[in-house]
Amino acid sequence: MAIKRRRSDAVDFDGYFEGLRREFEGWGVGLMERPSWNLKASTIEPLRDVVVTPTEVVVTVDLPFTKENTLKVKPVDEDTLEISARMRRKVSFKEMGITHYLGEFQSFHLRSRVPVPVRMDKMKIRFKKGMLEVHLPRKGGRLEKRT
Amino acid sequence: MSEINIVERGQIPSDAVMLFGFPDVGLVGVIAASHLIEELDLAEVAYVESRVLPPLIVLHEGLPHSAIRIFGNHDILLAVSETPLAADFVYPIVDALVDWGREKKVRTMISLSGIPAQDRQDLKELKVFAAASTAEMLEMVQAKGVEALMEGYMVGPQAVMLMRAAKMSLPAAALLAQCFLNYPDPEAAAEVLKSLAKVTGIRVDIAKLLEKGEEIRLKARDVMKRTQEEMSRMKKGQEYDIPVYVS
Repeated sequence: MAIKRRRSDAVDFDGYFEGLRREFEGWGVGLMERPSWNLKASTIEPLRDVVVTPTEVVVTVDLPFTKENTLKVKPVDEDTLEISARMRRKVSFKEMGITHYLGEFQSFHLRSRVPVPVRMDKMKIRFKKGMLEVHLPRKGGRLEKRT
Repeated sequence: MSEINIVERGQIPSDAVMLFGFPDVGLVGVIAASHLIEELDLAEVAYVESRVLPPLIVLHEGLPHSAIRIFGNHDILLAVSETPLAADFVYPIVDALVDWGREKKVRTMISLSGIPAQDRQDLKELKVFAAASTAEMLEMVQAKGVEALMEGYMVGPQAVMLMRAAKMSLPAAALLAQCFLNYPDPEAAAEVLKSLAKVTGIRVDIAKLLEKGEEIRLKARDVMKRTQEEMSRMKKGQEYDIPVYVS
């Protein structure tokens, strides 16, 4: 796999490892685990789930402490969603009982792949009690055929 | 040395209620167990030691602890794991705990856990279901107002606990609150604790648990993620299946 370079000519390591991870996952092999947080970006990766039904794909994401008006859900490409949100307050490692790392977080960030072709332009969002639901109609799904 | 040892560190009461809180759907059991430990000020009285388990310990205040421990007071023994049990180890660990409980003459065993609800996000009230090791125990929990789970599959530590207890004719039950499959669910943990109070009289204030709900959801992400992986290996999804009735 080639290492893509950004315009700045900096090596896109994140993209490279994400690509590797996808390839390894495709073979059923796990790559080295990464933490669920990014100290440099001060972000936490939330838990997510992807459910494929005959008509749609539903991506759910657990976003406790989220300020609803900061929630952003955007398609990155035809099979990837990027989700980000700010929390109502900062959360530090210390608060979570960890003293061997220093840092605090105030945002969630997540990229999630959608496993089947979907209509990103028909995306519908629901946010209730800190739980995000993204509904994406499937391309060629029963609903789309009917309409 | 047998495969699984339970090392005692404190006074073990007899005729106690033995509770189990293991990582499973919605982390209901672990969240409920943590709350019980905090509210009832339970102390560590024993821990599980084994050479066949992964080389993992938990550090608390700089000191090493087994990830699977038993907390207690004069009337309660509570087995809790801070890490999901790998599918291969569920039988030996749970069997060892049940056997140990029997040796300590516990009067009943109750597993606290969840049952995934597909429409969890829209449920206003969460139901708690029960399954039991004996007909008498099932009758008792029903008489206390907990609905029985009459048919279906059960996968995970609570399934092994119930079966082992049934084999020994020990009175045992699994209390299962409707919950999220893949997300920590403090509300479901609160519901299961309400049912525990009905069944055993062990009561704790759940207001604090609900207040800390968001904080728990945030802190429990990593354990939930690892639990998801183990649940997938255990074929936890089979709990959604409709069984073929064989009498």
